[in-house]
Amino acid sequence: MTFSTSGPSVLFAQASTLSRPILELHDIRKSFGGTVALNGVNLSVNQGEVHGLIGENGAGKSTLIKTLCGIVKPDSGTITLAGQAYSPQTPRDAKARGLQVVHQEFNLLPYLSVAENIFIEHLPRNIMGVVRRRHMNERARVALDAIGLTDIDVRWPVERLGIAHRQLVEVARALMTDSRVLILDEPTATLTSRETERLFSIVAELRDRGVSVIFVSHHLDEIFRICDRVTVLRNGETVFSRTIGETNQDELVRGMVGKQLHKEMANDVVSSARSDVVLSLAKFRHAQSPHHDGISFDLHKGEILGIAGLVGSGRTELLRSIAAAELPVSGALVREGKVVKLHSPKEAINAGIGFVTEDRKDQGLILTMPIAANVTLASLSDVSRLGLLDRKAEDATTTRLGSDLKLKYGGPSKHVSTLSGGNQQKVVLAKWLARNPRILLLDEPTRGVDVGAKAEIYALIRRLAENGLALLIVSSELPELITLCDRIMVMSQHRIVGEMARADFSEEKILTYAYQGERRKTEH
Amino acid sequence: MHAIDNTPSNDSRDKQMPKMSMKLVLRDAGIGIALLLLIAFFSLSTQHFLNPNNISNILTQITINLILAIGMTFVILIGGIDLSVGSILALCAVVGGTVLTIPDLAVWQAVCLATLAAMATGVVCGLFNGWISAFWGLPSFIVTLGMLNIARGAALQVTDARTIYSFPQTFNDFGSKMVFGVPVVFLIALALVALAWFVLSKTVFGRLLYGIGNNEEAVRLAGHSLMIYKVAAFTIAGALVGIASIIYMARLNIASPIIGIGFELNAIAAVIIGGTSLSGGRGTVIGTLLGACIIGVLANGLILFGLSDFMRQMITGVVIILAVIIDKYRERITAG
Repeated sequence: MTFSTSGPSVLFAQASTLSRPILELHDIRKSFGGTVALNGVNLSVNQGEVHGLIGENGAGKSTLIKTLCGIVKPDSGTITLAGQAYSPQTPRDAKARGLQVVHQEFNLLPYLSVAENIFIEHLPRNIMGVVRRRHMNERARVALDAIGLTDIDVRWPVERLGIAHRQLVEVARALMTDSRVLILDEPTATLTSRETERLFSIVAELRDRGVSVIFVSHHLDEIFRICDRVTVLRNGETVFSRTIGETNQDELVRGMVGKQLHKEMANDVVSSARSDVVLSLAKFRHAQSPHHDGISFDLHKGEILGIAGLVGSGRTELLRSIAAAELPVSGALVREGKVVKLHSPKEAINAGIGFVTEDRKDQGLILTMPIAANVTLASLSDVSRLGLLDRKAEDATTTRLGSDLKLKYGGPSKHVSTLSGGNQQKVVLAKWLARNPRILLLDEPTRGVDVGAKAEIYALIRRLAENGLALLIVSSELPELITLCDRIMVMSQHRIVGEMARADFSEEKILTYAYQGERRKTEH
Repeated sequence: MHAIDNTPSNDSRDKQMPKMSMKLVLRDAGIGIALLLLIAFFSLSTQHFLNPNNISNILTQITINLILAIGMTFVILIGGIDLSVGSILALCAVVGGTVLTIPDLAVWQAVCLATLAAMATGVVCGLFNGWISAFWGLPSFIVTLGMLNIARGAALQVTDARTIYSFPQTFNDFGSKMVFGVPVVFLIALALVALAWFVLSKTVFGRLLYGIGNNEEAVRLAGHSLMIYKVAAFTIAGALVGIASIIYMARLNIASPIIGIGFELNAIAAVIIGGTSLSGGRGTVIGTLLGACIIGVLANGLILFGLSDFMRQMITGVVIILAVIIDKYRERITAG
């Protein structure tokens, strides 16, 4: 284990002289197939501190947490917990060593009672093996009261609870066992401000008892509220660790984002004003949107329009309803001057709209079918005659698009599952390009894609725009939007709260808009 | 994996493609080898197994199950299941049988009309199964369980639980007709296998059935209407039941409302033994052919071997479970 002398390690080495580190990670690395998820993470958490962990989506936070709780085995690197080597094989091992995680995805059993969920790992039993229900319910009551969930009956099935209460029940469950290290993975994402406050006081109590809490969040104000120290991850690496008093929001944002984007911005040509509108939405409203006026904007020929916003701000729902994957409830969609009503993805595609979904495995690809079959999935009529497949035409289309997109593959008949994340994404793109759309909607186009393929996808997007394709891109990676787009709209709470042209792009500005909308929510 | 990702196409493709198709060939070959081993075993251990009469006997016995299993393959490929084929067989038979016994019709007219009527009955039932489950988003298990009762009840109702017989003699003869020692009815089943193979592997329709079985949402978002394909798969299964019912009548010379009980399970067994995944998206109709043959050979061979029919049933059950285990194991090998 070599320790680089520059940057991060030195910084936290200094900080940790104050109190004893309980959890230390040295140079943790992990790849999934061709995708590097962790590329040398260093982290040191002291006893009795709240340690913030931040980074953009894809920075490696989730993989890191999975490594710590025994779900993912790192390829290399060492972890020590309380002075002893720590390499959990299963979540059970992790718990036995005193490390607990409250996951972002819910692990509750919806039809069992709250009490049963809290005690699911060791239900209190009598000699006969019968569950001591009253005893269990009483203890669950105490546990819920402790975190302020006084208004919930422990006998209720979990399905009866709202999402925020479920999150708190998860917390209560984690608190049932004494742990040295408690990891909270974006615990406030579903909580209202009142519940968040409650959670913060619980966290403070734990800290006072000497428990170390790792707090993952993308809300910087929360980090400053409750954390003692903070570590920033970017592209699977530790950027730096700081005591909270020594840093500020700007520095953290810069750490998460990196510098490289400013360079890329500089050599880009400012796009000229465009006139021909290819798609325009008027009071377009999808089912989840609480606003009657919906969303209105214009998308121009050859324009790359970005949509920024926090998770849950309604970006994906917007794209899905434009593509008619889900039908909008009201408003108009105008294609080249005509109001069109799209009833199915089929009609949207016929109207020239392609849709690269956020989740390529569940919605974009048929993993166990050949690459060629995936590439032609949206344009089967072009590679068939009278319903008969023309394999040669299919392979020709695949080879042509494959070389256009610099797809690295074994051949058109290989299964998509053999490809790396970046190449899989290229297959999704090829599927739509084979169809020659006029408008392409992209939801997180480079999620889980390695750096090389990312650059190639960026180049492709620019080239497509130059050729007149209109692109609407949703991305959680601000540098991505800033690099690619001609215009960025910021969404929050299902409405557009800000818009800026290329000349005015800045991360700070985008984040300000995004968080402003959030704050409005919490004040409700 | 890495090597594959990074090698640019041409030269690696030549090496990879045959390897890939070899794997696919081996998939079916595995079932084929199992069938050959069974045949070898029974020919050595019993006296009469290889007797031409016995062989054509086996082929005749396989026929009905094979035709039903072809339709079942379509349904299982899209991730569905059809529990109603046995009952639909009875309903098709009594409808077809009723038409067949209409007096004053020339034999060929009666047979043509009866075939049409039986197939139409199967198609209507299949449409019902497919449409109800696709439109309401219900599991086909439930819908076809309902149809199992509806069709059986209907068959009993229209016949008043009576058996129909006295079909034209030429029709009855057709059921036991041979060409070079091969039953004609089996040849019909083989032709249907060939047709199904063509549809599944050479047409856009077949491609999309596999697609739906693997990832319905991806197919929908690529602009295809799922409804049409789902309904079509069940309808094809229904039409095939109609054909099977005519052959059944030609062989047994009766049409009874209580025939076909449990046939759906045999058809499912043939499909599963043939290597089609119950969760859909993977499998071939050739596999189904081999699966039906394995069940038929086992049934016949074990009886000749001197085992009771009860034992035969138990062993068939074991084979079904074994087939799934082997398939799972094989999947792990090809994946790794």
